[in-house]
Amino acid sequence: MGIFKRLSWFFKQEKKSYLLGILSLVIVAILQLIPPRIIGIVVDEIGMNEITQSSLVYWLTILASTALGQYLLRYLWRVKIWGNAAKLEAIVREQLYNHFTNMDSNFFQKYRTGDLMAHATNDLRGLRMVAGGGILTLADAISVGLTTLVAMIFVVDWRLTLIAVIPLPLLAIASRVLGKKLHLRFRDAQAAFSQLNDKVQESIQGIKVIKTFGQEKEDIEDFDVQTDRVVEKNKDVYKIDSLFDPAITFIMGMSYFLTIFIGGLLIMGNEITIGDFVTFINYIGMLVWPMFAIGRLFNIIERGSASYDRIENLLREETSIIERQGAVEKPISGNLTFAIDSFNYPDADADAETLKDIHFTLPAGGTLGIVGRTGAGKTSILKLLLREHDHYKGQITYGGYDIRDYTLDALLKHIGYVPQDNYLFSNTIRENIRFADPTLSQSAVEAAAKLANIHDDIVDLPNGYDTEVGERGVSLSGGQKQRISIARAVLINPELMILDDSLSAVDAKTEEIILSGLKRVRQGQTTIIAAHRISSVMHAEEIIVVDDGTIVERGTHDQLLEVDGWYKDMYQQQQLERKIEGEDQ
Amino acid sequence: MEQQELKDRRSIPFKEQMTILKRILSYASPFKKQFMVAIGFSLALAVTNAILPRIIQVFIDDHLATGTATLRIVLLFAFIHFGVTLVRMVVWYCELYLFNMASEKTVQHIRNALYTKLHSLGMRFFDKTATGWIITRATNDTEAMKDFWHVFLTLIQGVLGVAISLGAMFLLDVRVTLWILLFAPILLVIVRFYQVYSSKNYNEMKSKLSMLNSKLAETINGMAVIQQFRQEKRLQKEFKETNQSYYDSRFSVVKINALLLSPVINFLYTLAVVLILALFGYDALSSPVEVGVIFAFTSYANDFFRPLTRLMDSLSLFQDGVVSSSRILTVMDNEEYVPAQEDNPDSVITEGKVEFKDVSFSYDGENEVLKNISFKVNPGETVALVGHTGSGKSSIINVLMRFYDFDKGEVLIDGKSIKSFPIRELRQRTGLVLQDSFLFYGTIKDNIRLMNPSITDREIVEAARFVQADSFIEQLDGQYDAKVVERGASFSSGQKQLISFASTIVRDPKILILDEATANIDTETESLIQEGLQRMRKGRTTVAIAHRLSTIRDADQILVLDKGRIVERGTHDELIERGGLYKDMYELQNLGLQQA
Repeated sequence: MGIFKRLSWFFKQEKKSYLLGILSLVIVAILQLIPPRIIGIVVDEIGMNEITQSSLVYWLTILASTALGQYLLRYLWRVKIWGNAAKLEAIVREQLYNHFTNMDSNFFQKYRTGDLMAHATNDLRGLRMVAGGGILTLADAISVGLTTLVAMIFVVDWRLTLIAVIPLPLLAIASRVLGKKLHLRFRDAQAAFSQLNDKVQESIQGIKVIKTFGQEKEDIEDFDVQTDRVVEKNKDVYKIDSLFDPAITFIMGMSYFLTIFIGGLLIMGNEITIGDFVTFINYIGMLVWPMFAIGRLFNIIERGSASYDRIENLLREETSIIERQGAVEKPISGNLTFAIDSFNYPDADADAETLKDIHFTLPAGGTLGIVGRTGAGKTSILKLLLREHDHYKGQITYGGYDIRDYTLDALLKHIGYVPQDNYLFSNTIRENIRFADPTLSQSAVEAAAKLANIHDDIVDLPNGYDTEVGERGVSLSGGQKQRISIARAVLINPELMILDDSLSAVDAKTEEIILSGLKRVRQGQTTIIAAHRISSVMHAEEIIVVDDGTIVERGTHDQLLEVDGWYKDMYQQQQLERKIEGEDQ
Repeated sequence: MEQQELKDRRSIPFKEQMTILKRILSYASPFKKQFMVAIGFSLALAVTNAILPRIIQVFIDDHLATGTATLRIVLLFAFIHFGVTLVRMVVWYCELYLFNMASEKTVQHIRNALYTKLHSLGMRFFDKTATGWIITRATNDTEAMKDFWHVFLTLIQGVLGVAISLGAMFLLDVRVTLWILLFAPILLVIVRFYQVYSSKNYNEMKSKLSMLNSKLAETINGMAVIQQFRQEKRLQKEFKETNQSYYDSRFSVVKINALLLSPVINFLYTLAVVLILALFGYDALSSPVEVGVIFAFTSYANDFFRPLTRLMDSLSLFQDGVVSSSRILTVMDNEEYVPAQEDNPDSVITEGKVEFKDVSFSYDGENEVLKNISFKVNPGETVALVGHTGSGKSSIINVLMRFYDFDKGEVLIDGKSIKSFPIRELRQRTGLVLQDSFLFYGTIKDNIRLMNPSITDREIVEAARFVQADSFIEQLDGQYDAKVVERGASFSSGQKQLISFASTIVRDPKILILDEATANIDTETESLIQEGLQRMRKGRTTVAIAHRLSTIRDADQILVLDKGRIVERGTHDELIERGGLYKDMYELQNLGLQQA
């Protein structure tokens, strides 16, 4: 029951509609008592030949009006209680979403997308069950159970009631026990199913290997074994699942046995009438649901509170990236100075430093090139600048202020970062380009696209700028995606533009067009280009060569060619590559 | 995708739905008997439901009303009622259990059939179909069949319940039953009304939920971009709107269900009771009426109305089931089969001579990716394929492995058409080493044996020793029984490569096809791999795609491919002398090697 307390903020917030819903529920419980009683009365009047036209009309009018009343009130409580449950789900979902958007990259390392999605779907469902089914069962079990019992005792006979309800608590026990067992077995069945899922996934991904070794038959046999297992596990589920209705039947059967036996004796002794007896049998039937629901309630609460635990755990996570009080709101400008002594990713082991002694100054309006092998640490340098990680020895300053002293808006809104893994959203190309500001005009979007040399490609697509990207839409080539990402960053006309190996999938000629275009429009603005290809950085004022997390060579293009090092080797190799490409065409 | 699927759902015309239904139902035919027995129990259940009120009615009318009841009679009726209840309990259990098991087995049957079908399809299908799509068909869509089958159970139970309770009422009083039948048209109108409104709203709710969830997943995946562009606030606002619109449509589903599901059925039931009491009461004004019959009628009316709620509720599941069925059948109807072989079970590969004669091939029937390719590899010789991405190297392997059928020319093995060998023989005699070694979940042993039970543990160890994979395997915890997690994530790419070498070599193929890895392999295993390749090639006909030209310097013949044609051919020395594309490529790599 603790879960109701923990959710009390919501119940308080929706006090009015919950009260209305529960009140309707209670009134329905009382109204429900009337039809069996009227049936009993009419039966008695008919049996004793006391019926008159006016009494018949009288009772039937009451019956019809309670029917109408029940209908309206039932509608009301359903809408109120189930509506509130949906509302709770929506509120917590929004909390989760907003929370996710405020989390740092450590959080997303710790929780995989699948886990987060599971919390946002299954656990929210568990919570909805508490706010809907839980409240309903609780209120319903109490109101229907109590009123029916009272009616049985006072309207019919207290001795008959006390004896007939003896087996009924078994209903609650049965539903609790069976529900629990079912849940466990269901989990096993789910596990078997997800194993089957993994099996299919693996085989389809490895289909070439299977075909190569000619093992289709064996793989099918293995699959059959897995489906057998699924069937076995589900068999266990059905053994329990099919028991619910029969168990109710059995327990109610005992109750009916007692009712017929004791009721018959009481009628023989003229203690109750036949009409009372008929009423009573109907009342007993009405107790089935509330008694059974009590058992179910425990299971709902158990699962709901486990769900809420998991959700609260997520909501308790904190980001390590925080804006300082009184942070600088003036947008970044001026010189960028990097003075990092050492940096390590939070979960990496302490000995292996990711970055070591990275020192450089990039004057306002200048261009810095960063080159090096894959995994040398180029991206890590840029991530620090983007404040994905704040914990390092050393300092990065922009225009004299530590970048951690700026507001996030002052810093990030003025950096145009083009990542390696150019992630596009499933939206139109236009919306992807003007991601940073959807209010910008088509001409602004086109200008950016032209600068990124992607405009012509887009126009050639069937729907032009309205073409959907992603699963539902066209599949763009890696180079096209990269260029759209560049357009997305160019659009905001950033003070600092960062290209993180974002020209790797475009050919040399296109690269040249894009870089010279950027140079033309970005006069006086600062640029960092990290690349594998030397031609991307050769015009930079300073180039640093990174290896193993530290700077191993630095200088201008010409200076670096003087040194017999990685840079020179790389440059020559790439020159040759170009020659072959040239021959190829 | 989701939008498209939704459109599918709406646009399946009734006639097609029936065809789909008929076809998917045919998968249940092996379990017909079990379904029939279950339905038999359904019938028995409906009968016991009808008997129970009758017992009480007779008890009231014949004994209580007449005052002839004795202790013995009271006990007798209590026991009869309890006895029938026990029967009802057993019957009910059997019905549910048997029906559930029969539908479970049907789902298994469909699944196995679907999986077998998938394996009969050629690489063409797998290359152009997204993995996720195939997986969903095999798992989720077949799983949805269970709900679908349950709809049938609900339907059967409902129809039987309604029919038997009507029959029981007829037996008691024909006139009153006819009056109650007046409710039937009202019910039909409500069902129709519900179907129209609810399916629209329900589909809308489902599509909004999937929109909501894909938005959420997309945000999580694209979080870095969102945060870099400081778009958190805007996306929060957008999500709030989507969330709100999902809530709204959920709320309208709640309203429709509250308006048209059990509350209204309950209302109609009570009105039916009013009608029953009115009719019997009116009669009673003039002549006596048996009161037990009134009780029985109110019970039957309850049985008559009760199944309708569940029936209406499961209409949406029915729709979902039809959609899933049609998707399953799409796979079943696919005809992109594995290229056909002629039926000569006795053909065997003895020498391992490979010859391509004027082979042309295209993936799409339009653009040829191989044009008049001719070459010959004598037993034990090595031919190397060299060229840029898209030059046609992999297509030659696709043709040689019979992953795809070629269009023109001939591929000969030992002088006979490749089509004349049984696929099993081809697979046994040709070993393909893929560039990305794919490991399966299991143990090292499993990955070398790959489900071929005739390979002994000793052969596995020998194969591993041959390719020098033994040194790292023996250092593992559990050695050859060491666990391999999904896709071999805990091994380096070099180690994975060595394991896949072992699995190829343990089968002792006559013809070896190598697709060398382009990716950087860790330097530790690099030399082992090179040596392994050399050893494997010894005495085997080899067709190798080489990215590292140094590894194939000793090849008997090197074919340089460009845009589907062989542009240069010869030994290494001949090609270097010629000073063409090969020479440039070779020099480039030498440079790269020097600095590494």
